[in-house]
Amino acid sequence: MIFITGPLYSGKRTFAAALPGSRLADVQDLAPAAEDLAALADRLCREYDILIATEVGGGVVPMEPEQRAAREAAGRLACLLAARADCVVQMFCGIPTILKGEMPLC
Amino acid sequence: MLTLVVGGAASGKSRYAEDLVLGTPLPRYYLATMEVWDAECAVRVEKHRQMRAKKQFATVECPLDLDSVQLPARGTVLLEDLGNLAANELYDPRGAGDNAVAAILAGVDRLAKQCTDLVIVTNEVFSGGADYADDTHRYLLALAQLNNAIAARADRVVRVVCGIPVYYKGVEK
Repeated sequence: MIFITGPLYSGKRTFAAALPGSRLADVQDLAPAAEDLAALADRLCREYDILIATEVGGGVVPMEPEQRAAREAAGRLACLLAARADCVVQMFCGIPTILKGEMPLC
Repeated sequence: MLTLVVGGAASGKSRYAEDLVLGTPLPRYYLATMEVWDAECAVRVEKHRQMRAKKQFATVECPLDLDSVQLPARGTVLLEDLGNLAANELYDPRGAGDNAVAAILAGVDRLAKQCTDLVIVTNEVFSGGADYADDTHRYLLALAQLNNAIAARADRVVRVVCGIPVYYKGVEK
C-alpha cells in the first residue's frame, strides 16, 4: 500500500493519479468515528492500493473537545497507516518527498 | 547532545522522542510540563505515563520555572513539551508572562549543562492559519521563537511525520 499525506491542496490526488491501483482519499475523515483505529487501518490496507490523508494536526489546538479528539484520531490513523505502508509520500506544494520505501515513478 | 523533536497532533513525536532516549545511558529523567486541570488532561497524562512505563524514567514535574530544575545526577533528559511550558509561563499568574521566552531559554541552557543528552519535544501548530486573535498570536509567536532558538542551538532537529522521523539538522545515530 502507498500512503500519501500532506496539507490541504498540496497535490496528493494529482500525484496519485499517475499511479495504478484502487484508491481512497480523505481517510482522515473516517478516524473520529472509528472504535478501533488499528482495525480500520488493517481494513483500509487490505482494500486499497493507495490511501490519501490530509494532514490536519499542524494547526492551533481547537477549542472544541470533539475537534481535538478528531484531530488526534486522524493523527493516530496516519501513524498506523504509515507503519503498514510499503511507501509513504508527503506532498508539499505539489512536490513529493518519499519518507519510507521506494517509488519507481518518482 | 541537544535534540529537538517537532511534530503535529498525534504525529508520533512522543514515541519517537522516547525511543531516542532509550538508546542513552541511565539515569533518565522525564520533565513533565502539563498542568492537569480537567479530565482530558488527566487522560493524556495517563496515556503518556503508560507509554513511559518500564522505560526507567524518573518523572520530574515541571509546569513552570524550568530554570529551577536541579537534577540529582547527570544523565538523559526528555522535556515534553515546549507548547505546554510556553502556555504555562504565558498564562499562569505565577508564570513569567511577557518574559516567557527568555525564561524558558535560560532554563533550557541551564538544563543542557546538567545532562549528557537533552531531548526536547515541541509542537507544530503553525500550519492552520495566520489570522489569530491577540492572545493566540502571542502564544504562537512565543512558541515559534522558542522552536527557532532551540533549533539553532540543537545538534539535531527532527520532524516526525505520521511516525516517521525526518531530519532537518544532524543525523539519526
